[in-house]
Amino acid sequence: MNRTELLSTVLSLSTEFSPREKTDRPAVLAPVQGLTDLMLKLRDHSELSFDMLTVATAIDWIKEGKIELVYILISSTFKHSLQVGALLDREKPVAPSLSSVWAIAEWQEREIFDLFGVRYLNHPDLRRLLLEDDWNGHPLRKDYVDDFMLERPWR
Amino acid sequence: MGLINSQNAPMIEAFPGGPAFLTTIDTVINWARSNSLWPLTFGTSCCAIEVMMAAGAANHDLARFGAEVARASPRQADLLVLAGTIVKRMGPTLQTLYAQMAEPKYVIATGACAISGGPFIYQSYSTVRGAHELIPVDVIVPGCPPRPEAFFYGLLTLQKMIREGESIRRPGERRKPVLAALPPGITIDQIRQELILNLEEKSVTKPLNEHAKMENLTWKI
Ligand code: SF4
Repeated sequence: MNRTELLSTVLSLSTEFSPREKTDRPAVLAPVQGLTDLMLKLRDHSELSFDMLTVATAIDWIKEGKIELVYILISSTFKHSLQVGALLDREKPVAPSLSSVWAIAEWQEREIFDLFGVRYLNHPDLRRLLLEDDWNGHPLRKDYVDDFMLERPWR
Repeated sequence: MGLINSQNAPMIEAFPGGPAFLTTIDTVINWARSNSLWPLTFGTSCCAIEVMMAAGAANHDLARFGAEVARASPRQADLLVLAGTIVKRMGPTLQTLYAQMAEPKYVIATGACAISGGPFIYQSYSTVRGAHELIPVDVIVPGCPPRPEAFFYGLLTLQKMIREGESIRRPGERRKPVLAALPPGITIDQIRQELILNLEEKSVTKPLNEHAKMENLTWKI
């Protein structure tokens, strides 16, 4: 399947996907509500069969007041990949957990929770992954500061 | 060798000819120690590729200096090569490893990260600003990452330090050796002047018509 075919197949799955432009691979934007169902569709579709979640990460768009979740899916049968984005409110970042769809999402979501503070619903074990359990705040947010950090002497 | 150690060194020194004997023993011990440094593999990030892998591989060959026996256990190592960024969470582990190493133990900090925090010194929530905040460091090797040659220079410096600066009379005490001295009659200012002159003469910001001349220019050494 080439890029356009893949994209049109994905878009025909549900009207909730919207295509994104200027990306290096096929990319769509999905709503956060019902993300689990949409991802299940992508995984179980016979021609898409995205059986692998390679990347789950987040971006802090501080000016827009959003946090974007980015998922990169790969199909080990057809060797194609797809990027799925989902925008969350920066103040109340709540997203459904995808650990029931791909088991690896459990750890990747723990990392995103640790560094960006995204709360995942129905996550089996939402603890910090990299930092200490008593850490305050989420350091990969752009406005994070603490006593240990040194400010740059130039601007 | 077990008979002559730091506990009975004062006793031996009291005998006639004792000090000379101890100095000879020192030389032998330091020669042996400096030529069989066993490094502990402690690569925490990118510097490890240069210092542990490139330096150890055939092209540069760490074995020439007798320091190729990298051990994975601190109990068998006496040289801790800090190759990479040290984060706050790694700190206690590093201190434990250092404490577990047998005396005498030496530390080389390679790369900007282990020296000062390097590229992560500002606006980082996790990077320790220099390994000296956690453990004593004997030799530092600057670079990001240092080339294997630079690391070898650091290693040779450490060997020199062991050979010249240690005695069983004062275990654990080290004197830093003098590494480089200017030739007689030359001062730092002269070197600086010459550098500035050279830079002005050969700078690439010259007018365009002078570039043609520069093509044929060879470096005077
Ligand atoms: S000094 Fe440079 S190469 Fe070495 S660990 Fe730090 S960032 Fe990596």
